[in-house]
Amino acid sequence: MTIILLIAFIISLIHLSVSKRLKTYVSVLAFQGILLFGAAFIELIRINLVNLLFILLETIVIKSIAIPYFLNYLIRRNKITRESEPYLPDFISLVIVTAIIFGSFLLSGTMYTSINRLFFMAAFSGLFTGLYFIISRKKIITHVMGFLVMENGVFALTLAAGAQMPMLVNAGILLDIFASVLLLGIFVNKIGGILKEQEAGQLRNLKD
Amino acid sequence: MGIPVFLLIVFPSLFFAGIILRTKSICSGRKGPSISQPLRDIWRLFQKSAVYSETASFVFQIAPAVYFATLLLAIALIPLGGRSGLISFKGDFVFFAALLSLGKFFNIIAALDTGSSLEGMGASREALYSMLAEPAFLITMASLALMTGHYSFHGIFGALRYGSSLSLAAGALAVFVLIIICLIENSRLPIDDPATHLELTMVHEVMILDNSGFDLGLISLAGSLKFAMYGALISNIIIPHGLAWFYIIPVFLALQISLAMLVGMIESFMARFRLNHNPQYIFTLTSISLLIFLGALIISGKIN
Amino acid sequence: MLGTYFTGALVISLLLLLNRKKNWNYILSVAFLILQCILTVYEFNHQGIQELKYFTADALAVILLVISCIISVPAFWHSYIYFSKGKWLPHEQSIYFSALVILLTSLSGAYLSGHIAVTWIFVELTTFSASALVYHRRNLRTLEGTWKYLFVCTVSLTLVFIGILFLTMALQQVGLKNLSYSNLLANAPLLNTFWLKIAFLFIFTGYTCKAGLVPMYTADIDAKDKAPSPAGALFSSVLLNAGFLGIFRFYLILSHTGIFSWAGQILMISGFLSIFVASVYMYKVKNIKRMFAYSSMEHIGLIMLALACGPIGFYAAILHLVLHSFTKSSLFFQTGQVYRIYKSKSVYDTGDYFRYNLAGALVLLSGFFILSALPPSGMFISEFLILRSLFESNHYWILAVVLLLLTWIIWSMGKNIFKLLFIPAVEPQEMSMEKIPPWESLSQFILLALVVYLGLNPPFAFTELIHNAIKNLPG
Repeated sequence: MTIILLIAFIISLIHLSVSKRLKTYVSVLAFQGILLFGAAFIELIRINLVNLLFILLETIVIKSIAIPYFLNYLIRRNKITRESEPYLPDFISLVIVTAIIFGSFLLSGTMYTSINRLFFMAAFSGLFTGLYFIISRKKIITHVMGFLVMENGVFALTLAAGAQMPMLVNAGILLDIFASVLLLGIFVNKIGGILKEQEAGQLRNLKD
Repeated sequence: MGIPVFLLIVFPSLFFAGIILRTKSICSGRKGPSISQPLRDIWRLFQKSAVYSETASFVFQIAPAVYFATLLLAIALIPLGGRSGLISFKGDFVFFAALLSLGKFFNIIAALDTGSSLEGMGASREALYSMLAEPAFLITMASLALMTGHYSFHGIFGALRYGSSLSLAAGALAVFVLIIICLIENSRLPIDDPATHLELTMVHEVMILDNSGFDLGLISLAGSLKFAMYGALISNIIIPHGLAWFYIIPVFLALQISLAMLVGMIESFMARFRLNHNPQYIFTLTSISLLIFLGALIISGKIN
Repeated sequence: MLGTYFTGALVISLLLLLNRKKNWNYILSVAFLILQCILTVYEFNHQGIQELKYFTADALAVILLVISCIISVPAFWHSYIYFSKGKWLPHEQSIYFSALVILLTSLSGAYLSGHIAVTWIFVELTTFSASALVYHRRNLRTLEGTWKYLFVCTVSLTLVFIGILFLTMALQQVGLKNLSYSNLLANAPLLNTFWLKIAFLFIFTGYTCKAGLVPMYTADIDAKDKAPSPAGALFSSVLLNAGFLGIFRFYLILSHTGIFSWAGQILMISGFLSIFVASVYMYKVKNIKRMFAYSSMEHIGLIMLALACGPIGFYAAILHLVLHSFTKSSLFFQTGQVYRIYKSKSVYDTGDYFRYNLAGALVLLSGFFILSALPPSGMFISEFLILRSLFESNHYWILAVVLLLLTWIIWSMGKNIFKLLFIPAVEPQEMSMEKIPPWESLSQFILLALVVYLGLNPPFAFTELIHNAIKNLPG
């Protein structure tokens, strides 16, 4: 069953690479949160109840509800335009993301482990796709969204490794919460106040 | 042996267009025409004679016939419920794809033959979409072949079992890919709009603007046949192995009807995609079929 | 003691955040400094004892704590001077000082931690507090620096987390669960080298954002440029040490396995590239703070080269780290004064420094000589040891190229500093220049003198600590 959830995760990455509107990004992030909730529920059913409740709550509440709501609020409040503006055309993005998925398949093939290979595929695809989104999009808010995709990939990896180490899973989740709250809450707000257009090209003054 | 299968696939196809039209009407709140209405339109067209332009060559005259013939031959390849089709040999799914390309090729050059720029535009779009959808189909079929170890349709669908959840996921994705390919090949929403005849929105409809009479009837019939063909492929993947034939027939018919209704509902509730974004969406199918391929690699144990 | 320290620091930082009166600020800062010194002395006397289940004070932690304690005193003092000279809203000041306290606290926690994930958590905390320090003045350029720093560091620390996860998988294969350093050191030979290699790659890449090495050096440079000079001094010294610590602890674990030389090669590649990139940028740079930031990059590159070469290199690396912290922080403190006089950081707008601030100019001159490792600087000894260790481990070509690059760097930096010191500026505005009393440069003289002393005649306790820090490394 986790296999189906992870495959849906990878397909959502493909969908993310062709979507044009920021709202689609937000809804895909919420969908990935739900998928990871399901995967967490199945994988971590053996650890103690309080920990499990904490992790499940975090995935559903933070990943699927709070962060998308907050992103939508920021988009509305800073009047960010609807389109996500990529540097590369969408077709090439799609080809690159497909190549990333294939590459993560090959990479996960070199790992000698008893853990299901699909976890590594989903994690690496999420990680590198998130990095790709950070690089190839102009708007600042899409940088943050790319980081959130990376976080989802890291969470998939945590599920693979952390069934026996709940403290590590907790640490990863705390990272997720803190970084997302800080990045989203304080700075995009401030950037929206000071910068008029939400382009990363505005942040070019610091160089030699 | 294969003739009952062939007839079973061809017969319900006649009603496909009718079901789709009826579903669309009901979803819009109207009662709509009866299910056999498109059949009557086709019969009327068959009784008329065709008008050929003076600038068109013999290609324009033979193209609809070639198209229809390739389609019938392609349907002859498809098995059902453990019984093979009329023709079955190793590697026949490649033959299948090649037949469809042959028909489409004749369609395209017939459209170019008329000398109308509008038709040329539609022909180029059609060529692009088919080209992008082709790898998806071939990779999906190849993955299924890899999973089962056979190379003919009959062998593949005979040996298809869903043991692990990975194979179940691969099968579900294959069905999804085939449904979308069916929509693309028949030029339905959300890729193309068969209802409007505007330059902005046409792909397939514009290619057949100059056809009339018997040819037009053949092409409309071919459209329905194509639906049935893909529906038969999808049913092959869905229907579990080992059912007796008197169960297979009703299940098959039910699947065809629900596919038609699904197409009708998609047409009613979705808007068409922007035309210059279509290539991305079609290429997405190739990416998803790549996932099926990787899943098949894992299942068949070629890479562990 | 550690529990008291953490709670005390947290309380002080909260009070600093809420408070608006100057006198209370002074009292709270002094209280924090006293707390820090008490912690340092305590840990020095209680080495090797485990506290709060995750913290152990080993020799390297004690060295870094002492550095942090010594540098934090002038950091606070210069921050006060910085804030007293400008027009500041009171809440900006309180955010700055509270973030400063949290930064120093989380650094102590990172130094002392004996568990790999706890180090990671505390380094993550330093990212947040450091960005608050960079962003104290609300305009576009500091916003840009803060955003870049926060973003790049968060992404890098996510990479470190992934590395820790791979390490966990390696441990699970042999059935262990404990991620503390002592456990990892003891069981290192049992772990699968493939997982260790991947974990090392991720952890190393992640911590380079703090240490300022290739590949993640960019955010660090911007942060040192945009933060106020006392904060920039802290970034260059104690925060860089935290990045070094993260890399070093894992390198130590790898030294007991078969892939030690492979890890050394990775360190060598990164160190060499850092020196190369630093020299290229240093040639072009016109902003004094950025110049010192790139110089930090060069020095940590040298330290990495040393770590990859044998026992002399290990000793030299740690010695160089200590001396570099003191030198660089004193230079950064001095650039604060330069900025106050000329109101600009560019080399073109500054000049003839000897006329306006004799003591400060002497600091800059002697600091430049000490940084470039001319004798009698202590850094001469450490750099000499580094180059000797490169020679003895048969890396002749790297030695030759590094010597050339170091010469180039000395030339570029010297060009800028001598321009600043001796050649008059293009359009000096003497009316608006501030008169800075010479006693403000006293702290920097003390730090530079410390560098010379530690190099020429180091106290026995100091050398003993360094030897203890590297005793687990082979050779």
